[in-house]
Amino acid sequence: MSLRRFLFSFPIFFTVFLLQEAVVTQMRLPAGGINLLLVVALIWAALSTPEIGALTGFGAGLMMDVSQTSPGPMGHWTLVLIIACYAIAFLGYGDDNIRGNPINIILLVTVGVVGAQTVFLLLGMMLGQEVGSVSNIAFLLAGSAFWTAIISPLILKVVSFFHAIIFGARAHL
Amino acid sequence: MRYGGDNRGRLLIIVLLVTSLFLITLDLRGVQVIDGLRTGTQTALTPVQKAGSWVVSPFRNFLSDVTHLGRTRNQIEKLRDENDKLRLTLQNRKTADAQLKQLKGVLNLAGTAGYDVVNAKVISQGSTTSFTQTITIDAGTSSGVRANMTVLSGYGLVGVVKFAYRNSALVQLASDPAFKIGARIAGTQQIGILSGQGTRKGVLQLLDNTTQVRKGDALLARGSQNGRPFVPGVPIGEVTSVDNSPGSVTQTADVKFYTNFSTLGVVAVVVSGSTADPRDSLVPPKPRPTPLPTVTVYATPGAVEPSPTATK
Repeated sequence: MSLRRFLFSFPIFFTVFLLQEAVVTQMRLPAGGINLLLVVALIWAALSTPEIGALTGFGAGLMMDVSQTSPGPMGHWTLVLIIACYAIAFLGYGDDNIRGNPINIILLVTVGVVGAQTVFLLLGMMLGQEVGSVSNIAFLLAGSAFWTAIISPLILKVVSFFHAIIFGARAHL
Repeated sequence: MRYGGDNRGRLLIIVLLVTSLFLITLDLRGVQVIDGLRTGTQTALTPVQKAGSWVVSPFRNFLSDVTHLGRTRNQIEKLRDENDKLRLTLQNRKTADAQLKQLKGVLNLAGTAGYDVVNAKVISQGSTTSFTQTITIDAGTSSGVRANMTVLSGYGLVGVVKFAYRNSALVQLASDPAFKIGARIAGTQQIGILSGQGTRKGVLQLLDNTTQVRKGDALLARGSQNGRPFVPGVPIGEVTSVDNSPGSVTQTADVKFYTNFSTLGVVAVVVSGSTADPRDSLVPPKPRPTPLPTVTVYATPGAVEPSPTATK
């Protein structure tokens, strides 16, 4: 039943993917900008069970992998997001102190974004990709954390709303 | 209650992880399907991205302006400087083109007459506060220029060298009130003395009162002994009006100089005249009036609309 419900979330993620590719990447935000799909996937996972979180990571990761801006091989982001979303969902699941407080979710997502990107980098290095200078990486990670902390509170309510429609009001903030 | 997980959940995670690792392996091994998937996605996304770019561009430009405020200002300054330089280059180019045109004219004139000339640029216009009409050119004795040499432009006589210095020379313009030159009318060969009046107009005083002079007659320099100060045959100007008042001792006429003294850029100093008098060969051809097409409209009573008839 959960799997069937999960499939209903595909249009939402596809819309976010289109937004990311058609609008967000065009804005050329300073300090590396933001990956909206990554943030939405992590928020979604934070509100879901670990299985749904892992599936969310898988779907969102596949979308990020087919993006032309993705530097790694197909499956690179998928692997990272399965781990990240599962971890976020695992940390938040059953703990109302985390789920009931938006600030905790924002903090969790911000840390999750930075963590996912770090894992992505490490995995990329293992696969032989050029990752650039340490200062540049640090700057981009800080920028990513900054933008996530800015954007997450703005979209948390919307994501929570759609999540509640699909999976029931139990997870609604 | 904390989530402990069950076998089904663990299996799902393992399947997903293995799938992602499988995808990575396939991609790294260069399987065409994976490449095609990415290319296909991008092809499908391109129109959406184009539309997104169009929608976002105002916001993006604003954001770019805000984030690059300092750099934008510097860029504006840099572009302004560049613009000034380009404008100056363009201006210099226009000046060079004008000088080239004048130089061509001078060389044509000197070549037709067989004069040996030294080309020079006008480097200053003499002050008119002392009621003289002079120019300074950038050629002097080092180039063979001496005092009392004829100075030409592409249209005809400019004046005469008054003083020659090592690298420059002072030229008295034909419009100078103190300037006088022996002139003859092309064709009839009547002679007279032309005087400058301080403007582009001079006054010709004919020596023989019985001779006829007409409006439009061309005047040429008679020439001096050994070609100094004036070489023969140099076009001076054309008669614009004739004073035939009865009782006057001599006949006079107003003459408009061919050369426009206010636009002089390049001139030539005749350092050696031709061995043969060019006679009237340097008289500029009279401008031919170009026929203008006119349209006459005849209104015919009863006709629907008048029919235009083109006539020349």
